Amino acid sequence: MRLLGPWPARAGVGFVRACAVTVVSMLVPAVWAGAVALGIWWGAGNPWSWLAPFVLVCVGALLLPRPVCGMVRLLVAKWTGTVVPAGYRQAGPVTQMSTGYWWNGFGYERTDRDALLDQRWRVRWNDPANWRDLRFTVIAPLTAGLVAALPPAGAAVAVLGLVQPGPAARGAGVLGLVAAVAGAPYAWRPIVPVTARFLRPSPAMAMADRVDELTAQRADTTVAQAAEIRRIERDLHDGAQARLVALGLSLATADVLLESDPEQARALLRDARAGATASLAELRELVQGISPAVLTERGLVDAVRALALDIPLDVAVSADTPLSLDAPIESAVYFGVAELLTNAVRHAQASRARVSLVHDGAGIVVGVEDDGRGGAGDRAGGGLAGLRRRLAVFDGTLEITSPRGGPTRVRMALPCESL
Amino acid sequence: MRIVVAEDLYLLRDGMVRLIEACGHQVVATASTGPETLDALRTWRPDVSVIDVRMPPTQSDEGLRAALAARGEMPGLPVLILSQHVEQLYARELLADGSGGIGYLLKESVFDADQFIGALERVAGGGTAMDPAVIAKLLSSRSPNRGLERLTEREYSVLGLMAEGLSNQAIGRRLFLSESAISKYTTSMFGKLGLTDDDDGNRRVLAVLTYLNRA
Repeated sequence: MRLLGPWPARAGVGFVRACAVTVVSMLVPAVWAGAVALGIWWGAGNPWSWLAPFVLVCVGALLLPRPVCGMVRLLVAKWTGTVVPAGYRQAGPVTQMSTGYWWNGFGYERTDRDALLDQRWRVRWNDPANWRDLRFTVIAPLTAGLVAALPPAGAAVAVLGLVQPGPAARGAGVLGLVAAVAGAPYAWRPIVPVTARFLRPSPAMAMADRVDELTAQRADTTVAQAAEIRRIERDLHDGAQARLVALGLSLATADVLLESDPEQARALLRDARAGATASLAELRELVQGISPAVLTERGLVDAVRALALDIPLDVAVSADTPLSLDAPIESAVYFGVAELLTNAVRHAQASRARVSLVHDGAGIVVGVEDDGRGGAGDRAGGGLAGLRRRLAVFDGTLEITSPRGGPTRVRMALPCESL
Repeated sequence: MRIVVAEDLYLLRDGMVRLIEACGHQVVATASTGPETLDALRTWRPDVSVIDVRMPPTQSDEGLRAALAARGEMPGLPVLILSQHVEQLYARELLADGSGGIGYLLKESVFDADQFIGALERVAGGGTAMDPAVIAKLLSSRSPNRGLERLTEREYSVLGLMAEGLSNQAIGRRLFLSESAISKYTTSMFGKLGLTDDDDGNRRVLAVLTYLNRA
């Protein structure tokens, strides 16, 4: 529904939303009120008649806040696009220890079923988010709930007032109708700031999330690093090392043959020379993949310029100079740009591209644009996902807009202080 | 020829000096850092110098910068840059002043002593010696309106070899063609690219390189 649609439509939609907010936010107070009413109905004087209402209040306080908050989050996200992260504690893996017991992050259990059960229970009830949710279920009805109740209440007054004879009742009915219709487009809105303020994760919860994120990143980085080192080892082992052995062999044989068969010795020397050239070429390629020489010699901006010259594309590079960045960040940005330009050639079939490197006060922002056919996306395990992961190590972000038919615009931003 | 060798790795420097002296040329000075190189070039004004790109104190492009600075002070001072890798970017910077006496080769070019000394002599004589990899990149760099697509395949390969710095005679030997055939190709090639043909080989090569560098 368009926000600035025709007024009646807005009023209608607003009325429905206000009703929804009222129902959801008043649910817990309604249960409590129901419990109190039940207690009074059974006999206020008799303490035993309060037992069932007390249980009802407890159940309302313990079980309802989470679904209510989930519903509010869902409604707010659906209506306004404001996504408030839930921030509930996530269950970690349950692993069997060498002793045979199962560790679930809290304690040891004899079987994995017990461990899972115990873990689910503890994750659910030790979560600091429970207090936040409970607080919200008290605050929301007193603020957003009350405001949102205005249109439905006005409508109720209007219906009750207009069916009764008498000018006073009719007048009240008209007033209620006016309040309901005029308030409808706005009355549901206070739920948005209230949700954003009281349902967002607390600093402690955000910190816990951050720790989880960093732990996952660390694991990722360690795995990627180990794989990279293994690749380098394999390349050296099968490439340059093997070639150097062959080269030494050729030289040794030539040494033996020098007197008896100078012609063959000369051929071997020629082979040795070719082998040395080939191993140098291999090493050069390997070094280029680890840390391009031009990056070491000239820094990021010139390295990107050199890259732009070598890519079969018309690439324009614009940069703030001087950019003095830490070596790891330079390297990450360089390989990021290289990957994006390669994609532009290989997948987008672009004919020209533009690269810009600027610092925006908080860090470096790199823009890469091409005029290709677009449609670039994050596939799990794809090149862009890998790039995103490599940037995440530096808290960097990657934004891609690539509609079908192009153009593709990519923005990499990395925070860094050494500017 | 009087030659200056600038290279920070002792083994390589020593080997190069031995190779050059074995071929009957004289090494007048050696240098192992950027500032030393610039000093040696100023003091000796050598017939040609062999300079490594990466040198102390910064381990960045000290050698290249020393060479460019020296050529700024002494236009046309012949320098042959040797490096573990060739970059189009550096080649374009070296060619930017449009004067000759420039070489830019991979370090493994010293494996073939004849070709290496030949390149040194060419550079000393005001000619050029560019690594085939650099020329291939210069030729394939995608800029519109270069006119290269109008060349025939044969003219294209002649252009490449000429840009490396080879004479018509040498190109003929490479392509198994007579020298007169090569000069026919070069005439039509120059016509298509709109360059004025020059009898002097060095000036002609330079015209080609300037053309490629501009585009």
